[in-house]
Amino acid sequence: MKLRRSLPRPARYSGFGLLRHALGGAPWPPVWRRHDLRDRYDVVVIGGGVHGLATAYYLAANHGVNNVAVLERGYLGGGASGRNTAIIRSNYLTPEGVAFYHRSVRLYESLAADLNFNVMFSQRGHLTLAHTDSALRTMRWRAEVNKLQGVDSSLVGRSEIGSLVPHLDVSDRPRFPILGGLWHPPGGIVRHDAVVWGYARGADAAGVHLHQDTEVVGIDVTGGRVQGVRTNRGRIAAPAVVACTAGWASTVCDLAGVALPITTFPLQAAVTEPVRPFLDTVVVSGTRHVYVSQTDRGELVFGAAVDPFPSYSSRGSLEFTEGVAAHVLELMPALAPVRILRQWAGLCDMTPDFSPVMGPTPVEGFYVDVGWGTYGFKAGPVAGETMASLVATGKTPDLIAPFDLARFTDGRLVGERGAAAVGH
Amino acid sequence: MRLDGQPGEVIHRGTPLTFTWNGRPYPAFAGDTIGSALAAAGERVFSRSLKYHRPRGLLTADGNDPGCLVQVDGEPNVRGAHRRVSAGMAVTAQGVWPSLRFDLKALNRLAGPALSTGFYYKTFIRPRRLWPYYERVLRRFSPGGRVPSPSSPAGRYEHRYAHPDVLVAGGGPAGMAAALAAAEAGARVMLVDDQPALGGHLRWGGPDGLAALAQLRAAVAAAGGIEVLTDSVVTGQYEGGLVAVVQHGLPGLTERLVKARPRQLVAAAGLIERPYVIAGNDLPGVMLSTAVRRLINLYAVRPGARAVVFTANDDGTAAAADLARAGVDVRRVVDARDGGDIVRVRGRGGVRAVECGDGSVVRCDLLVTAVGWTAPTGLLTMTGGRAAYRAGAARFVPTELPDGVLATGGLVGDGTLAELIGHGRAVGQAAARRAGRTAPASPVPDLVPAPHPELFAGRTNGFVDFTEDVSTKDLAAAVAEGYDSIELVKRYTTATMGPTQGKLEAVNTIAVVAAATGRGIPETGTTTARPPYAPVSLGALAGRNYQPVRRSPMHDWHVAHGATPLVAGAWIRPDHYGDPAGEVRAVRQGVGIIDVTPLGKFELRGPHIPDLLELLYVNRWRKLAVGAVRYGVMCTEDGVVFDDGVTGRLGEHRYLLTATSSGAEAVGEWLERWLQTERAHWRVHVVPMTDAYASINVAGPRSRELVRRLTTGIDLSPEAFPYMRVRLGEVAGVPDCVVWRIGFTGELSYELHVPAGNGLRVWEALLATGVDLGVRPFGVEAQRILRLEKGHLVVGQDTDGLTQAYSAGLDWAIKMDKDDFVGKPELAWQRVRDGQVVLVGLQPADPELVPPESSQLVEGDRRIVGRITSSRFSPTLDRSIALGFVAPDLAEPGTVVTMLLPDGRRLPARVMPQLAHVDPEGKRLHG
Repeated sequence: MKLRRSLPRPARYSGFGLLRHALGGAPWPPVWRRHDLRDRYDVVVIGGGVHGLATAYYLAANHGVNNVAVLERGYLGGGASGRNTAIIRSNYLTPEGVAFYHRSVRLYESLAADLNFNVMFSQRGHLTLAHTDSALRTMRWRAEVNKLQGVDSSLVGRSEIGSLVPHLDVSDRPRFPILGGLWHPPGGIVRHDAVVWGYARGADAAGVHLHQDTEVVGIDVTGGRVQGVRTNRGRIAAPAVVACTAGWASTVCDLAGVALPITTFPLQAAVTEPVRPFLDTVVVSGTRHVYVSQTDRGELVFGAAVDPFPSYSSRGSLEFTEGVAAHVLELMPALAPVRILRQWAGLCDMTPDFSPVMGPTPVEGFYVDVGWGTYGFKAGPVAGETMASLVATGKTPDLIAPFDLARFTDGRLVGERGAAAVGH
Repeated sequence: MRLDGQPGEVIHRGTPLTFTWNGRPYPAFAGDTIGSALAAAGERVFSRSLKYHRPRGLLTADGNDPGCLVQVDGEPNVRGAHRRVSAGMAVTAQGVWPSLRFDLKALNRLAGPALSTGFYYKTFIRPRRLWPYYERVLRRFSPGGRVPSPSSPAGRYEHRYAHPDVLVAGGGPAGMAAALAAAEAGARVMLVDDQPALGGHLRWGGPDGLAALAQLRAAVAAAGGIEVLTDSVVTGQYEGGLVAVVQHGLPGLTERLVKARPRQLVAAAGLIERPYVIAGNDLPGVMLSTAVRRLINLYAVRPGARAVVFTANDDGTAAAADLARAGVDVRRVVDARDGGDIVRVRGRGGVRAVECGDGSVVRCDLLVTAVGWTAPTGLLTMTGGRAAYRAGAARFVPTELPDGVLATGGLVGDGTLAELIGHGRAVGQAAARRAGRTAPASPVPDLVPAPHPELFAGRTNGFVDFTEDVSTKDLAAAVAEGYDSIELVKRYTTATMGPTQGKLEAVNTIAVVAAATGRGIPETGTTTARPPYAPVSLGALAGRNYQPVRRSPMHDWHVAHGATPLVAGAWIRPDHYGDPAGEVRAVRQGVGIIDVTPLGKFELRGPHIPDLLELLYVNRWRKLAVGAVRYGVMCTEDGVVFDDGVTGRLGEHRYLLTATSSGAEAVGEWLERWLQTERAHWRVHVVPMTDAYASINVAGPRSRELVRRLTTGIDLSPEAFPYMRVRLGEVAGVPDCVVWRIGFTGELSYELHVPAGNGLRVWEALLATGVDLGVRPFGVEAQRILRLEKGHLVVGQDTDGLTQAYSAGLDWAIKMDKDDFVGKPELAWQRVRDGQVVLVGLQPADPELVPPESSQLVEGDRRIVGRITSSRFSPTLDRSIALGFVAPDLAEPGTVVTMLLPDGRRLPARVMPQLAHVDPEGKRLHG
C-alpha cells in the first residue's frame, strides 16, 4: 500500500477526550463543515454514500488529492449506505471475489483506528445454513476454495450449529431441517452509519468538500472528455468525475451518455424492537431466503432476496415481512412474540453477472463505481481505496481489473451468482 | 389508591384476580391493565431507562407509554399500560440488575456526561483487540426484554382475509359515525380500534361523553353490516390498498393478522398527546393529562396525592377537574395561555416538586401536562399522503391523502362532539359512495385544528425520547457536531427509533432540532414514516406455518415398500428401497421402474411454440417433427446453463416440455417472463402439468418387453418407435398417456406420463406384469449412479452459477448459426476464449476411494485447477467414478490430476476419454 500521508486531524476521539469534554463542557467540533461550491475541483465524486466518501477519503489520504468535492443529493449516507443490513464477509466463491472482499474485511478491521471513529465492526461470525444436499455440496465447495485462499471458512454440523446459536431449531421437526452450515468466523456486522460518518469526517479533515442537498442534473462532456457537472447549486468544472451512486447509477451515468447494463430491483429489510442479546452470529439461510443478525442495541435485523421484479420503489411490502417472519420462525420458533418495528427497501443496481462495474468509461475522465447489487456495503472501503488509486494514478488496480465496464462488450463476465444471491 | 366506582370504569370489581410483578403477588380486577393494577397498588416505577437506568413510571397510560414496557412470561416488550392483566400472569421489569428497585446499572448516571449521545463512536477505538470485550459490556446494556427460551411453547397465530367495502381505522366518535353512515348506505364496514371497547376519548372524557358514547355504541351494535374489531391495530397500508390489521384477545389465539382489501380506508386515529420537554420530565409522577384521565375514569385509580397541572388547552383544565373530583389535592394549575410556564421537575425516583416559571416551587408528587397534540399522520404518509405543519395549531396535519383513503376526527381537526360526528358521517357517506354504494352526497363540513400555543421544550434540558434516553442537549450536541438534518440527527442520536416509533417524540424532536439549527419546523421537516404503523409480532406475520409438501400419486406405495424418503425441494421422493446398488444392477440387467413425477412438465399450445423454443434453448427446434423428442439446454443471458430437459411434439401446435425437477418452478417463470414481457405478441399458452401427470421411467434391456405387455395402440418395435420419439396411447387400460423413448440411465427406456389419478394403477400394473422379467423399483440414488455411469450431467450439480454451456461439454447442442437465442452473445465470446474449464470424466487411482463431491483439484500447494462435481461407487464397474471440472490443459485423456479431499489427503485421479464411464458408444440406449 502507498505511504499514508499525515492528515490534518479533527479533535481526536478517545475515552479521555469524552471525559475531558464531559467535565469541561466544551462542545465537540463538527464532524464535517459546510462549504460554498467552488467553480472547479480536481475530482468530483457523485454520491455521498460509503463508496463516494471512501473514494474521496482515500484520494486525499493515500494520494494527496484533496481538491475534491463529494456531491450528495440528500444527506450523507441516506441511500443504500443507510439501508443495507451491514453484513461484512469474505467467503466468496470466485478467486476475484475472494481476493477483493478479503481486502475489504482487512480494511474494515483497521477502519476504526484509521478513521479514529468507532465503526463498531463486530466480528462475531457469519453462519450460512444448508437445508438441502445441494446447498451442502455448494458450501463444501466454498469452504474448500476459501481454505485454499486463506479465508477462515469451514463446514460445520448440526451440533456445532446448535452450540453457536442455541435458538436455532436443529431438530428434524422443520419442513426443511438444517443439515449443516458454512462457518466464517471473521464475518460480522458493522454500524453502517458510523462507516459513512467516519469516512466523511476523515475526508473533511483532509480538505475534501462535502456538499449535501446538491443534486447533479447534468454531466458536461466535450470531445469524449468530461468537463464537469451541473448541479442544482451551479456548475462545477472538473477533469475527473466519479459516479458512486447506488439505485440511480443508470440514470446518473446516462447524463454522461454512458449506458450501463443495469436493472434496478428493491431489496427489503426490517428491524425488530430490541431484545436482550441472544444471537451472536449472522445467520443466513439461502434456502429459506432470509438472513438475521442482532445489533449491539439488541434489534434483530432481517433481510432477504431482492424483490422479484424491477422497481424504483423504496416502500416496504407486507408480503416481505410475512415471508421473513415465516422463515425466521422456521429457523428460530421461539421468536414468535418479537415485534417488527420498521421495514424499508433500498435500491439495488443488478448487473448480469452479479458483479460491480468499476473503472474508466468511454468518456475520458468519467469513472464509475456502480452496479453493486446487494453487496455494495461490504465492499465500501476496498472500492474507495482502489477507485482512488485509479483516479489518482490512471492505472487500474489488479483487484478491480475484472470488474471493468468493457467486460460486457468483450465477453468477460465475472459471475458471483453462486455466492451472492442471498449471500449476506 | 383505588377510587370508588367511576361512571365509565372498565374494571370488573366482581372479578378480582392475582398476578405477580417481579415475583410478588399483586391484586387486580378483570379489565385492569398491568399498569393500572400496579398503579392502584401504589407502584410508581415500572422500568429503567436505556442509558442511565433512570426509574420510569406511567407517562401516557396507554399503548404508547414508554415507561411501561415489561416482560410478560416469555413475551418481551409488552405494552404494560395497554395489555389487560390476567390471573396468574408473571410480569417482570426488563433489563434491570439485580432488581428494579436497586439497579446497579444506574451507576451509569455517574458517568452521565461522558455517555453523551454517540459516545460509543468516540471511544473503544484502541487497542483494537479490546473492542470485543467493550462490545460485550455494551451489549449487556442493550434494552428490551428476553426472547422465550428455545423450548418454550409457541403461541397460536393465524391469518384472515377480508374484503370490506370500507375499513375505518379508529373507533372514536368520528370513526363510529363514519362507520354508521357507510353502513346505512349499504356498505360492509370493518371498524377497528386498539382499545378493548369502542369510544376513543369519550370513554374517559367525562359524563357527557359517556351518554353520547352509549348512543353511538348502541347504534353500531344495531346497524347491520359493521364488523367491530376491538383490541386490534391497523398496522399499515400497503401497495394496492392492502390494509394489515393485527387482532388480539381472540379466544384460543395469540394474534391474528387480518389482510383486508377495503375499497376505501377511513383513517380516524384521533390524536396523541405530547409530553413537555423540561428537566425532570421523565420522573415517575410526571403524566400527560390524558394519562390521569384514563387512570381515574377507566380504572378508578388515583394517580397521586398532590398535583400541579400545567396546561395550554381545555383538556388540561378538564384533567384538573377530574383530579379534584378524585380527591387529588391540585396545588396549582399553571396555564400557558396566561403566560404561565414550568421550568423543572424536582425529585429522585419520583416527583417531589415543580419549579414554575415565576420562580415559585410547588411541592407535589404528580405533575400533569397538557401541552398539545400530535396527529398520527404516519399511516397516511407511508402510503403517499402528505402532512404539513400548522404553526397556529402547533401540529402537523394531513394535507394530501393517498388514493382510496379518507380521514376524519382529530387527525383532521378539532371540534365539538357534534362537529366530530357530523364530519365522520359525511366522510363515511363519501367512503360508501366511493365504494360503489348509494349515499347522500352531503358536503363534508370543515374540521380545522383549533388554535394552540407552540409548546414543545422548555428552558431546561429534558428528555425528548424516553425509550432512547435522548435529551434536548443530546439533540443540540448532534446538530453542533454537524448531524444537522433531521434524518442525520435521528440516525446519530437514535431519537424516534425506539419501540414507540416516534409517535410520542417525533414532533418534539423536530422542534428541538429546528431550534438548534435556527430553521423553522416546516423547513426541518419530518423523518420518513415507515411501516408498520404499530409493531407487529413475527408470529402474527407468519401465521400458521403452512409449508406445502408435494407427493406423487405413488408416494404411499413407496412408503409401504420401505423407501427411504428424500426431501427434494417441495417433494418427498424415494431415495432408495434399501439397496441402491442392487437397484442399479436390476436396471442394467433386467428392468427397473422409477417414479419421476416431480419432473417439471409444461404443455405448450399455439402456433409460436417453435419461436419460443428457438429463443430459450441453445439448440434447434424448428424442424422437430410431430412424434419426435429432442433434448434441449437453456441458458441465461450470461450464457450460463440454466436448465435442461426433453421436449416432444405431440401435435401440430401441441408440445410437452420437461424441465429438471428442481428447476421446474424457475423454468415456468422463465417461460412466462419471456412470453409476457418480451414477446407478448407470440401466441403460446403454457400449462403447468407437473402434478397433472404421474411420471414413470421404465429402464433396462427388458423395458420394451414390459411396456409392450401393457400398452395398446402403440407399436413398440424399434423401427416403429425409435430412440427420441413420442407416442400417445393407452397404458394399462389408462387412456391419454404420453410415452416417450429416452434414456437418462443409459439403458433402453420409456418414460410414461400418465394422468395423475391413474399413476398408482399403472405403477402397480408394471410391477405385477413384469415379475418374470425381474422388474423392481429403483430410487433417486440408483438413478444418480446410473446417470453418472452414463456421464449425463445434472444441471446445478455438474454445472454451477458460472458454468457456460461450452464448459459443460454441450458444444454439440449449441447452434451459433441461429439468428438469436438467450445467451448467444456470451457464448459467442466463450467459444473463442482460451482457458475455459472443461467437464470431464474422472476415475480415482484407488478404485475404492469415492472422493467427496466438491473436493478440489489442485496443483502445487494451493493452486485450484478444478473440482469434483459428482462422485459415486459404480456397481457396474465395481470402482469409483466421478465427473469434474478441470483446467483445459489437464483435459487430455490419461492426465493424472491431484484431488485434495476435505480431510486434507491428496490423491491421484485419471482423466477419462469421455464423460460416460459405462457404454460410451450408446449401444444399450439405441437397442
